[in-house]
Amino acid sequence: MEPYLYLVPAIVLTGTWVYWPMVRTLQLSFYEWNLLPTREPLWLGVSNYAQLLRQPEVPRAIVNTLLYVVGLLPFTIALPVVLALALNLIRGRMAGFYRAIIFLPVLMAPVVSAIVWKWIMNPDSGILNAVLEAVGIGAVDWFRTPNLALWAIAIITGWKLLGFSTLIVSAGLTAIHREYLEAAVIDGASSWQRMLYVVTPLLSPTLVFMLLLTVLLSGQLTFPIINALTQGGPRDATTNVYYLLWQFGFESFNVGLSSAAGVLFFGVFLVVAVGLLRLAERLSFYDA
Amino acid sequence: MMLDRARLGSHALLIGVCALTILPFWWMLSTSFKPANAVFDLDPVPAAPTLQNYAHMWIAIPMGSMLLNTFFNAGLLMVGQVVVATLAAYAFARWRFRGDNLLLVLFVGTWLVPFQVTMLPNYVVLSRLGWLDTLAALVVPHLGSAFAIVLLRQFMKGFPLELIEAARLDGANSWATLWRVVLPNLRAPLAALAILSFISTWNEYFWPLLVTSRPEHTVVQVGLQMFLSSEGEQWGPLMAAATVATVPVLGVYMLFQRHVVEAFVRSGLR
Repeated sequence: MEPYLYLVPAIVLTGTWVYWPMVRTLQLSFYEWNLLPTREPLWLGVSNYAQLLRQPEVPRAIVNTLLYVVGLLPFTIALPVVLALALNLIRGRMAGFYRAIIFLPVLMAPVVSAIVWKWIMNPDSGILNAVLEAVGIGAVDWFRTPNLALWAIAIITGWKLLGFSTLIVSAGLTAIHREYLEAAVIDGASSWQRMLYVVTPLLSPTLVFMLLLTVLLSGQLTFPIINALTQGGPRDATTNVYYLLWQFGFESFNVGLSSAAGVLFFGVFLVVAVGLLRLAERLSFYDA
Repeated sequence: MMLDRARLGSHALLIGVCALTILPFWWMLSTSFKPANAVFDLDPVPAAPTLQNYAHMWIAIPMGSMLLNTFFNAGLLMVGQVVVATLAAYAFARWRFRGDNLLLVLFVGTWLVPFQVTMLPNYVVLSRLGWLDTLAALVVPHLGSAFAIVLLRQFMKGFPLELIEAARLDGANSWATLWRVVLPNLRAPLAALAILSFISTWNEYFWPLLVTSRPEHTVVQVGLQMFLSSEGEQWGPLMAAATVATVPVLGVYMLFQRHVVEAFVRSGLR
């Protein structure tokens, strides 16, 4: 009996604010409702799901969600591996200093980051465009150019993630047996490639973990940046599946459609997550 | 020789990345102190620093009450999450009981649930309770933190059972054991958790956006967004507001750097 008493607050809170709402979302996905307390939800069956698949924005949002993952991977995997190797070579005080600096953007609130980058990337007077003009590329209107806006948002989100990812990869690196790394360094420290070939397979569980985080969280981490900077525009160029869900719910007040989208996308993400976790398990034999 | 060259290259690379990391912070600060007629100059350091942007921003939005709301939100959640998680983690670490594994999986599983999947029903509940635009709406739904439970459970599992057993033989009940034996030995993880909770709540944007609407009842992150959309591109005052919203977090980071970094790395960014 005793342990359950200690668990009561956590169980009640998690049940009330996570699991029960999930059931409610599933339930609401079969109804039509506009959030008004005076209106009763109307039973629709699966037609919200059918309508969802017919929404013109949906394919765009799905493609964008994948593009965001692609845009974030350099910041969550490629660069962190290089930086972690560099930090590993230096070690000591300076490495700690660099690490502390690279971590800073993790602490900057998403909205603050969005506003500051909006100023830096401002087409008329931002410092980035001043640099681009000086080197002859010319000013770019980052957030109003459909082909660029998504990548601009991915870069801002990536800038925020780099420090965190580097630390995770660094931790993965220290878990690898020292001799492998030293052997690689002695073999040819001048050759980054060789280092990469030795280290990447040993790091693969960490890298799969980072892939998992990127896939699962890219939709959520880009969310506040999208909201602050483009609201999904221009012409749905920067929207993603979670942003769409938010718009269905709180802009169109179409609770059923929003819930159906939530159920569907969450289901897909869950399947991907389980798949990647399996992969991570299978890859961990390298450093046995 | 070869190693030295590789080291040199590493330093060069890291210095470059650090510069790109710092640039937005520095540009925010620098712009915030520039007078209106110098905001568009590209001077790295303001030639004639002024506080007029801060004064403007402070009048344009209810920054004082927003900061206070954010502070209470983050402070209450910091204490609340740690308390709830401590109790739950203690149950998992000390006893084996029916359904313990299932419960643990259910707690861990909440990490996978995106906020967007639960937001509508939670919003409806809060609006029916009449809690919209109150501190309770900000705090209560987030009191249970799966990450906090898992982290503390891990640390408590590592705690020597003999000590707990000794306390039991001394006649201490489980509650007294928790307070007098277990918690005093868990200061470091508790501190890390508290700091992480404070910082992530301070930076939280979407939940407050959803459940608060009046400027004087909202938090500083939402206030910033309101300021951006109402005043447009008033970069000086905007950067002043952004600086004020960031300084508390940077302060906490400087004081407790190691704790902060470790807690973030363990949390997986949620």
